[in-house]
Amino acid sequence: MMARGVSVIVSACGHDLTPSVMRALGSQISASGDFVTVYLGQRPSAQLLRDVAASGRMAVVFSEPSTHRTVQLKTRHARLREARPEDAAVLQRYRLAMQQELGGLGFGPAFVSAMFAHRLDDVVAVEFTPDEAFDQTPGPRAGQPLGGPAP
Amino acid sequence: MSAAPGRSQASSHRSPQGEGTPVTAVDLAELRPCLEGAIPAMMATCAADGTPNVAYISQVFYVDERHVALSFQFFNKTRKNLLAQPRSTVLVLHPLTACFYRLHLRYLRTEDSGPVFESMKAQLAGIASHSGMAHVFRLLGSDIHEVCEIERVPGDPSSTPLPPAPPRCNLLGALRRGSARLAACATLDALLDATLQTLEQDLGIRHAMVLILDPVTERLYTVASRGYATSGVGSEIALGDGVIGVAARERTPVRIMHMASAYLYSRALRDSLAGDGSAAISTDIPYPGLPEPRSQLAVPLLSAGRVLGVLFVESPLELQFSFEDEDLLVTLGGQLAAGIDLMQESAEPCPDMPGTEHPAAPAKAPAGPRLQVRHYRSNDSVFVNNAYLIKGVAGAILWKLLQDRQRQGRREFTNRELRLDRALRLPDVADNLEARLLLLQRRLAEQCPQLHIEKTGRGCFHFDTAGPVELEDVAA
Repeated sequence: MMARGVSVIVSACGHDLTPSVMRALGSQISASGDFVTVYLGQRPSAQLLRDVAASGRMAVVFSEPSTHRTVQLKTRHARLREARPEDAAVLQRYRLAMQQELGGLGFGPAFVSAMFAHRLDDVVAVEFTPDEAFDQTPGPRAGQPLGGPAP
Repeated sequence: MSAAPGRSQASSHRSPQGEGTPVTAVDLAELRPCLEGAIPAMMATCAADGTPNVAYISQVFYVDERHVALSFQFFNKTRKNLLAQPRSTVLVLHPLTACFYRLHLRYLRTEDSGPVFESMKAQLAGIASHSGMAHVFRLLGSDIHEVCEIERVPGDPSSTPLPPAPPRCNLLGALRRGSARLAACATLDALLDATLQTLEQDLGIRHAMVLILDPVTERLYTVASRGYATSGVGSEIALGDGVIGVAARERTPVRIMHMASAYLYSRALRDSLAGDGSAAISTDIPYPGLPEPRSQLAVPLLSAGRVLGVLFVESPLELQFSFEDEDLLVTLGGQLAAGIDLMQESAEPCPDMPGTEHPAAPAKAPAGPRLQVRHYRSNDSVFVNNAYLIKGVAGAILWKLLQDRQRQGRREFTNRELRLDRALRLPDVADNLEARLLLLQRRLAEQCPQLHIEKTGRGCFHFDTAGPVELEDVAA
């Protein structure tokens, strides 16, 4: 599921416990599934990136808009790096997948492009291995761990 | 970076890039399109140990310029975090400009009854059924949050922003035209017609009705409607039933953009009627509403702190009524309610009333077909030629008029004499007499044109029959 056109929302918090949050510009998951990269714009996510850099802690929700299937990953060891030229293709693929997914819900390509508009030199990649995963599909089961801690 | 608490400190603390760029001050009004439920909001909270959490939130409900209410549906991590640490940050997306906003909130309390809760509950039922989630969505409470700050998230400066919403029509202009129409009205009849005309002509709202609350029976009765196969004048809804009844009971607008079956009053009524095969003589006038509405908006009519009734609109299409329609209907409804009150107060006898002081001799029987009118004392229901016409106070009034017409030959009547007649059992205050007379007048025009009421001035009216009438009073 997470390799398809899914919404990615990233959250962290400051040392005063003030939450920060933003939608990611894209994401990529390794073939083994245990290495995740999410992309954030520095301008729209300034506080969030500062909080992640300071604490290493991050919560990321992946959700398929058409089905509401939702998974939340948490990490204590997120690492920031600058975006590289090869990341551009990942972001491009992600945007097209989201245009497909949100198009089915009535949002036009121009709207989806505006949602994910960015300049590569403003993009930061955040890499992590999930410590915990939770099923968060709306309903009473939301919040249940998914198969225990990842290796 | 300091982490000083408090609103005034928050602005500098949350500045983008942290290099002194001031955060743009944004009013909650700018975000109202984001709160219409087109795109779900995301809520970030934080546990006491510093673990962040992020979750979808079904509803962010506009309470006022400083407060929003969020739907509390499950006891989950977000809930646990909020109770321990009231700060949260909510991310919303503008459904037209694709601009993101962050609301920095402070949790205050949870309400599980009252106007905000009832409005959200009705709306959530719609959202849940629209998204196929009706079985898991139940509103446990409305979490009231203070809006500490709103951040317009800076986007990519090199991309062209999407245009804002094109103005649908000049709503303020429409409101002004409606207000002028209402201000020109001298009777309740004209006032109601002016309201429905404004909705239809200036706002393109084709299905609408006005209901008046009877505070004694706690039921709302339809006095005017437009856009239905039958007018439904005289049909009743109990206080608290469906969006109309909830709007009146809670004194709050109820607006639904995706209609759910739970709130389909017309369907519930039809089902209950279908299950009751015993009703050989029904005194229920059918509710006129759309069989399959997809959008509805009910606005309470408030005047001098009292609920007088409800202005109700609906559509067979989804997403027809925005927060702007709600604002406009609440405003227009305020003038309508004040007008209804004014018509009551001004309904005193005309000084030069003809006919009251010199009752004529019993009139000669008119030439039309004979009418057999039966009155049941138990509920003041009136049947004409065995067909149900009306009941309650309006039925009692009709019975008095018919008796006076037959025994004394009178045709001219005043509101004042009806108020003084104890047999009519009008409440001492808020008797809604003018509305009841209008209901009777319209019901007669639709169902029994041989009996006819016509206003002849403020607080007086003319009543006549077009044929000989045979009266039968039944004690039961």
